[in-house]
Amino acid sequence: MERVDGYAPIHEYALIGDGRTVALIARDCSVDWLCLPNVDSPSVFARILDAERGGSFRLEPTARFEAERRYLEGSNVLETTFSTSEGRVRVTDAMTLSDTRRISPMRELVRKVEPLAGTVQLRWAFEPRFGYGRATTRIERRAGRWFAHAGADALVLGLCEVGDGALKNGAVTGELALAPGESALFSLAAASREPAVIPGRDDSERRLERTKRFWPEWAGRLHYDGSWPEAVRRSALALKLLTFAPSAAIVAAPTTSLPEWIGGGRNWDYRFTWLRDASFTLDAFLRLGYHAEAHAFFWWLMHATRLTQPRLQVLYRLDGSADTPERELTGLSGYRGSRPVRIGNGARDQVQLDVYGAVLEAIWVYAKAVGRLDGDTGKEVARIADYVAKHWRDNDNGIWEVRDERADYIQSKGLCWVALDRACALGARGLIPDRSARWRAEADELKAWVDEHGWDDQLQTLVRAPDLREVDASLLTLAVLGYGGERIESTIAAVERDLREGPYVYRYRGDDGLAGEEGAFLTCSFWLADAYARTGRLDDANALMEQLVGLANDVGLYSEEIDPRTGEFLGNFPRL
Amino acid sequence: MTLWGALAGGAVGTIVLTSGLRVAQELGVTRMDVPLLLGTVFTDRRDRASVIGYVIHFVNGLVFALGYYAIFRAVGHAGWLFGAALGFAHACLAGGALLTVLLPAVHPRMGTPWSDAEETPLLEAPGFLLLNYGRRTAIWTLLGHIVYGAIVGGFAAGLS
Repeated sequence: MERVDGYAPIHEYALIGDGRTVALIARDCSVDWLCLPNVDSPSVFARILDAERGGSFRLEPTARFEAERRYLEGSNVLETTFSTSEGRVRVTDAMTLSDTRRISPMRELVRKVEPLAGTVQLRWAFEPRFGYGRATTRIERRAGRWFAHAGADALVLGLCEVGDGALKNGAVTGELALAPGESALFSLAAASREPAVIPGRDDSERRLERTKRFWPEWAGRLHYDGSWPEAVRRSALALKLLTFAPSAAIVAAPTTSLPEWIGGGRNWDYRFTWLRDASFTLDAFLRLGYHAEAHAFFWWLMHATRLTQPRLQVLYRLDGSADTPERELTGLSGYRGSRPVRIGNGARDQVQLDVYGAVLEAIWVYAKAVGRLDGDTGKEVARIADYVAKHWRDNDNGIWEVRDERADYIQSKGLCWVALDRACALGARGLIPDRSARWRAEADELKAWVDEHGWDDQLQTLVRAPDLREVDASLLTLAVLGYGGERIESTIAAVERDLREGPYVYRYRGDDGLAGEEGAFLTCSFWLADAYARTGRLDDANALMEQLVGLANDVGLYSEEIDPRTGEFLGNFPRL
Repeated sequence: MTLWGALAGGAVGTIVLTSGLRVAQELGVTRMDVPLLLGTVFTDRRDRASVIGYVIHFVNGLVFALGYYAIFRAVGHAGWLFGAALGFAHACLAGGALLTVLLPAVHPRMGTPWSDAEETPLLEAPGFLLLNYGRRTAIWTLLGHIVYGAIVGGFAAGLS
């Protein structure tokens, strides 16, 4: 793996986590991204956003090496194998799960080193930088361990058969060489606003083994007998890592500001839950047999939206709060100079009407699976449907979160129809108060409006908006969610014609108020495959899916976008 | 001051406190729902949890009124003002420890900051000073408990 100006290519990262936070580890075994104690907390390692000042935990051979990595079978425990002229050595990385019988660190990252052949000299460097590199990080030695701290946060570095290391220039560094049969262990124990728990080697090893047992057990509960079992299982495991266990919220991605174009300004913080992802997430959990996760996410969905109901916000924090103020961090240089680095997300202030369709679809999927909704929830859902009936005519910022002026995005209207349609279905089943006469009337009027204002005879497609007469890949979601009609098939054909290049599908070609280029959104490609399947084009769906499965990186993960010209991963990673 | 007065105050005060928090929910000020939090200890069906939770919260209100009465007896004084002061302390206890530390520790369906991938809790924890449920939760909870305490104190003193 070659770093470019100190930055690893995004596709060279793998993900480990514990249901509370995640770490991104590059192929050269450097931990380049870790936020503590939670995935949306400030970072302690952010080399991925600033190769000089972001902080990292490096571990690599001193000699020239080749690196291969894999996840343990059905697991989120990562194994990297270095091969050099001196031999081979394996590094096992995991964020351990808490031990319920003994006190555990608040968070723990364990790195176990085991020689496989010969004796490989390794060097390591522990270089924490709290608070996105802006806090003053102090490192000192106490009771045989290295303590790094800033404010109320601390990291304790435990070294087992590694030597003591030496502190220089804000990093603790050292070297080690293990003979066959020996092993070494690094443990990073994190604490935030509480005393640090300092694990012994036995404690960390026990938690590592427990973690290694948990993941295959969880993966073993997956129900899937389709064509791509390994890809689906890896996606389920990644989805589980993106699920924030303390609240059951699911982040769109665990990173911020990985650029949609290298050097560009389309760099956003994705460490929030977007409600539009709700329907796809709930559907995925239910279809795969993870009913407990689906149940928990549904509870989070209804609880988080309570403060704003019947109005639904575009996104929420993991704890369900609605404030997500966006600001730029000036202290980080950005991935390969892609500025600005942002934390928070201003999309919260936008109006995106398609969210209502996604949420009502999620509720419909959930209610069908469970067979009931309690009375209060039913009333809340009915009020949300009433809100849609009243507001579908409003213009909005649309699914692509255009920061320019609002428009009458056809996809938004279409998803409002989905919302009203699902409300009628829920009412017909007696799961919510039935006001379907009004909802159906509004849905019919909406469809008539779309037919009149959203169709372009010349292009033979539904368009982005009445005054934006171009194709938009988000219209594929209408096919996915059963909007129906011949015009949907024509729209799919138009997307193929204007936006598809091989397996890649661009969002649109027009202006969105932001400077710079972008790659192809992989979500659009998966929507196209889904749309093919739902319109009977199964051969096309299978062919595209085969291509898309092949686009994952070596450990089965995807970023948000890909540059079709180079295959380079772009955007936040990995992407839900 | 009388025990029955304190209990009567506990009943009325709990109704006022619970209703006040419900109003705050409906106004969109907070996501705090104490009956739901208490009821989901026993069931994950929201409708049943709410009923169970209201009963538990009401009983708690009577039990706390007994505690208030014991303090009134110990210091030889009751009344609206002293009751309100106790209510303030009561709110600090609730927001600082009872709901934020003890409840998540024993609640089978509530997440904690230590919940990891092995767990699938249905409810997020309230967080310190109940901030997870909305930034204004703490102030409404404080006001509600002050009113509760004032009512208990006033009733215990015979509404004098």
